[in-house]
Amino acid sequence: MQDQQRHILTAEGIAKSYGPVVALRSVDLSVEPGEIHALLGANGAGKSTLVKVLSGVVRQDAGSASIDGQPLAYKTPSDAVRAGIATVYQDPALIPDLSLDQNLTISGLRRVEIEPWLERLELAGFDFGRLVRDVPLATLRLIDLARALALDPKLLMLDEITAALTPEQTDLVFDVMRQWRAMDRSVLFISHRLGEVLSICDEATILRNGRDVAHLSLEGVDELELVAAMLGEELAGTGPASEPSAPSLVSSVADDADVILEARNLHFRGRVNDVSFDLHRGEILGLTALDGQGQDELFALLSGDHRPTSGELIVNGEPLAAKSPYNAIRSGLVFVPADRQDALLPQRSVRENLALPLYNRISRWFGLQSDESQRVERAIDRLDIDTRAASQVQRLSGGNRQKVTLGRWLVDDFEVLLCFDPTRGIDIQTKAQIYDLLREVAASGGAVFIYSSELREIPLVCDRVLVMYNGAIVHEQAAATATEEVLLVAAHGLEVVES
Amino acid sequence: MTTVSSTTEADTRSLMWRRWVQRHGWTVGIWLILLVLVVWYSTLIPRFGGFQASTIIAGGTAWVFLGVAQAVVVISGGLDLGVGGMLVLSSVTAARFMDGQPIGVVILIGFTIMVAAAILNGFVGWIIAVSKIPDIVVTLGSLFIYQGLALMVLPKVGGGTSETFRWLFTGSGTGIGSNPWPTVVIIFIPVVIVAWWLGKTKSGLSLYAVGSDTTAAYLSGVRDVRTKIIAFAVAGVFGALAGFSSVSISGVGNPTTDGGVLTLNSVAAIVLGGVVLTGGVGSVIAVVPAAMILFFFNPILSALGVDPNRAQVIQGVLIVLVMMVAGLLEWRRIRRR
Repeated sequence: MQDQQRHILTAEGIAKSYGPVVALRSVDLSVEPGEIHALLGANGAGKSTLVKVLSGVVRQDAGSASIDGQPLAYKTPSDAVRAGIATVYQDPALIPDLSLDQNLTISGLRRVEIEPWLERLELAGFDFGRLVRDVPLATLRLIDLARALALDPKLLMLDEITAALTPEQTDLVFDVMRQWRAMDRSVLFISHRLGEVLSICDEATILRNGRDVAHLSLEGVDELELVAAMLGEELAGTGPASEPSAPSLVSSVADDADVILEARNLHFRGRVNDVSFDLHRGEILGLTALDGQGQDELFALLSGDHRPTSGELIVNGEPLAAKSPYNAIRSGLVFVPADRQDALLPQRSVRENLALPLYNRISRWFGLQSDESQRVERAIDRLDIDTRAASQVQRLSGGNRQKVTLGRWLVDDFEVLLCFDPTRGIDIQTKAQIYDLLREVAASGGAVFIYSSELREIPLVCDRVLVMYNGAIVHEQAAATATEEVLLVAAHGLEVVES
Repeated sequence: MTTVSSTTEADTRSLMWRRWVQRHGWTVGIWLILLVLVVWYSTLIPRFGGFQASTIIAGGTAWVFLGVAQAVVVISGGLDLGVGGMLVLSSVTAARFMDGQPIGVVILIGFTIMVAAAILNGFVGWIIAVSKIPDIVVTLGSLFIYQGLALMVLPKVGGGTSETFRWLFTGSGTGIGSNPWPTVVIIFIPVVIVAWWLGKTKSGLSLYAVGSDTTAAYLSGVRDVRTKIIAFAVAGVFGALAGFSSVSISGVGNPTTDGGVLTLNSVAAIVLGGVVLTGGVGSVIAVVPAAMILFFFNPILSALGVDPNRAQVIQGVLIVLVMMVAGLLEWRRIRRR
């Protein structure tokens, strides 16, 4: 009788920051035996960080957790396994250069322990001598699951396990999860696919901005209710008021403005499916999506880092067949990556970093023209960066670095600025300055295509917004009316009902 | 029914065969190249017998051990520039303390030096793992330190070791004989042990795991710091074995031997042996013939009457050519997939 009272997992007040970025503020979570528990939340809500804490990959700053009454004190992921938590991560944790047999040896498992589970997942007779790198991703995820099950954990954590699977494989995984539940074991299930969550899970904990904002039983709940729960109380409360409001910045772009960038039926290895859109001169076009819906690949296509499987890109009426980012830059597509370190010369000054694109032309190697020097000076003024730190970019804060990566495109000519999540982990004041910069960049004769994982910044900075789900554009609308709720509904691949 | 099952059996067999070629083709190829070179060499010189075989094998032993030392570290995703220095340090230490001792004491000293080398180089691995300073920087330091310590242990050429000990590594109490077999055995026992350990045990496979994908290894429960220490400790042991071979051939310790050049040879040997410099791929079994081939270049070129100054250039060109062929094969394999 006592067993039924006991939680298999309890976590209280878990907090974790990475430097200045707070990933988890305070999260409580409890999972009971024989329960499939969903962990839900929009991008950046803290799901992945919570999984990492519970699986021993990172250590929490505050809070405590216990499994089966035993307090958790991890040093490494193997301690978590010993404590009874096995995890299937988003990226398979199998060693690519080793065979499956050798991978099992590393996990301390024998073939006979994993074979019954492989059989359950219809992988009976799988060749254990194959190198992991030769095995397709979907199969690897199933093998990773079988390995986790073979460790015989009390709690199984599945992070986006269905993302790469076919519907048939997904059904197999669900069967196994049900069987696991019937054995009075528990599952913590993380998925963006709300339909799956509702069909398989019993309970849900919903995270928002690093806090648990709702615990609910999933019986009789529908997808829209889940999305509403993800938006949480904060939406009505302090949230929007503390954000910079800059609606006056948003200009309206005439429908007949020239099309600078045209994407026609872009495909990329099943990750990007038939993406088409137009980008007009002077426009800021937004893109939003949940993590891993193909947005990384789409930006890699646009910036010339990957080549599309099919479809074409047209810049100013000319088809672009970029072999490398250099070709894309030469035709006017410039990219500001999410990782600001990628785009800067950390030991050089702000001035040199700003002037960098100008040096793409050999004629500038011996000095800049006077008007160009003036533009650099003006850009420095505009950026409003503390000059004491300006001698070396590496001394700047993340927000100021991002301003430099954007500001350099004020100095040079370009057609389209591609920005991938430019405000991630940046304070609110700097965010507002970045929005201003983007506006100015667009007004100076180019266009901006920006991916943002933060839904509520879309109306602040964009003219128009696209929503991506499963590699395809599923929704498009004017940004001014794009509420967080509408975007979150669309980002989950659900039908947006006009109200 | 019979037809179906026999087809699948044949399929499986051909798959197994292809996989075997894919995994071990390079190893077999390198052994074949060595064999061809030996046969060719035997036609170049007037007489090829036990003496010639023994000279080459004994001379190449130190290169083989250094190659294996380097391979173990590189497979785990690192690089140890200090292995050449370890050869010098352990050879002079052996020469100083083994001189005039009975064989029992000599063997005891040998084991002590191996343990000390493991601890010392393992400590270097620990520093790298904890400080996150790149391997190449820390081990450049350890190379100089070992070289300097060697001069402190034995300021000038001297010392010695027992005849039985020299027989173990050269097949002769005087360092020059015509019986290659003891040398063959002394090479293969440690190499086979290490190959088995690397391929079959959890701690050995951890080296491949860390070298192949650090994150996946960590998530699979591999301890990264411990793995680094183990890899460097094993490299230290093989560096010591290389030192014993060196002292057995010359009969004395020489603290002015250039460890840096020896380290570079070890890198060339593992590259030729198919160990990928970025880690995670390779076999120590292939490093044995690769190191032997590199050592073999010199006698072959001198038998051909090539000017020693040109010999170095030719050696360099051959290494690059062999690696280009390897790169081409790998590229074709990836493209076919």
